[in-house]
Amino acid sequence: MTNFFVLLLGEIKRLQRYNILSASAVVALLWIGVLYLTELPDITFIFPMLIYVDATSMAILMVGVTIFFEKQEGSLHTLLVTPISKLDYLLNKSIITVASSVITLTILYLYVVIFKEIDMSFLGLLGAVILVALFHSLVGFLLTYNSRDFTALLINMMKYMFIFMIPVLLEYMQIIQQDIVEAILYIAPTKAAMILLYAPAGETELWEIVYALGYLGIGSIILFIFVLKRFEQFAVSESGV
Amino acid sequence: MFQVRDVTYRYPRNRKDTIKGISFDIRQGEIFGLLGPSGVGKSTTQKIMVKLLTDYQGEIYYRNKELKNFDKQYYQEIGVGFEVPVHFSKLTADENIHFFKKLYRNQANTDAMMQRLGIYEAKKKKVDEFSKGMKIRLNFVRAVLNNPAVLFLDEPTIGLDPANARTLKTMIKEFRSYGGTVLLSTHLMSDVDELCDRVAFMADGRIAEIDTPQNLKMKYGERKVEVEYDTGNEEATSKVSFDLDTINRNEDFFKLVRNKKIITMHSKETTLDDIFIKITGVEKHD
Repeated sequence: MTNFFVLLLGEIKRLQRYNILSASAVVALLWIGVLYLTELPDITFIFPMLIYVDATSMAILMVGVTIFFEKQEGSLHTLLVTPISKLDYLLNKSIITVASSVITLTILYLYVVIFKEIDMSFLGLLGAVILVALFHSLVGFLLTYNSRDFTALLINMMKYMFIFMIPVLLEYMQIIQQDIVEAILYIAPTKAAMILLYAPAGETELWEIVYALGYLGIGSIILFIFVLKRFEQFAVSESGV
Repeated sequence: MFQVRDVTYRYPRNRKDTIKGISFDIRQGEIFGLLGPSGVGKSTTQKIMVKLLTDYQGEIYYRNKELKNFDKQYYQEIGVGFEVPVHFSKLTADENIHFFKKLYRNQANTDAMMQRLGIYEAKKKKVDEFSKGMKIRLNFVRAVLNNPAVLFLDEPTIGLDPANARTLKTMIKEFRSYGGTVLLSTHLMSDVDELCDRVAFMADGRIAEIDTPQNLKMKYGERKVEVEYDTGNEEATSKVSFDLDTINRNEDFFKLVRNKKIITMHSKETTLDDIFIKITGVEKHD
């Protein structure tokens, strides 16, 4: 077995032992509760919003939580002096985060298909969730690098939510309706995320899909390179020999 | 094994170099002690040698090849023992060890090591149920689970009771006897005295002294005999020291022995603690 898969299996076991998987399941149940309380039979309009909140905030949180557990326990120290590459380490965390978002999507989609109505292709949503969660797992790394402890990470995440996530959410809930604000929001990666998550409903214009794919796709590559480079610096600050 | 040549290192946000042109060799099969007060660059030197810090100036050769030219496979050959616990606390000791073991080509008999260190019976327990001493012993197993050629140990016996410290030191000596090389960083001079073949004292980012413990004792040692005698006054004693090398012709010594009641008489040998203080100037910080 290559070290990549050893790491992956180890990461899954730790998610289970540290109750992170249970916490994800509770969040999925919470979303089901929200869907259950929704009186609309067709939830095509609100479904992408729930997935948006999950795939962005949970992705950031999951990366942060796992790294802070490793920092707190000192296990990160010993991981840094093993024959695993930083690429393996970072990819593992991103893959696990994306997988968690995909599992949540699957559970919620099954629920709405059985108990509600939805007019969105699962495959379209799947592709969108993978890209959105991947991008935000990388944002999670950056926020973690810049946070001294878990509280600081939560504060940084709140800042990200207030600046990027909530305005886009308000726009799609039609609370924000000014053209200038809507135009400015195209700068935000969360706008691209929301466009992609609504695209499977079939009403998104092609140029918007291309913009969102380009933004998150190219953005993920650039972020990954940056996260990889910054990992050296992070490792030095965390190395406890 | 290692040749360190004029290595200098400055942390990115620092104005001054932390390591200021150090040079030393570590020979295969020796236990090399890196000593000095906190903040003199011991940890930084170790971080450089385990490739956690790579943008240093100077040269380091491992098996005659520049350290910078080794990739992650370097870690197949070394083991790093940390002073602080470094395990996944919600996993059992066994799960921790097996997770790390799978990352290496060479795998040691960790069950036998856990048995010797007295943690085998607890291997199915979660690490967060371990005492500090058990975690330290598990750290050592973690460090050697890949049968490394070189072992970097940071304060390996701190927090251990005397019996476990003895077992661990015996295991370190056995590691050396099989050809293993150790870089040991510690404040416990008794460990250094017992384990190290050679030691380097660091002070202010430089190597202040490097030699065998025996040679250092001879170089810095003061060979004296201290005599405590009864002064004749009630409950009053006094102490006086004599140079051991000239004591056979020291009239004052003979007069004292003849005329006074001797309470105690000791030869005073310089310890590594004394040398540590003398070389590093650690008292200035206290």
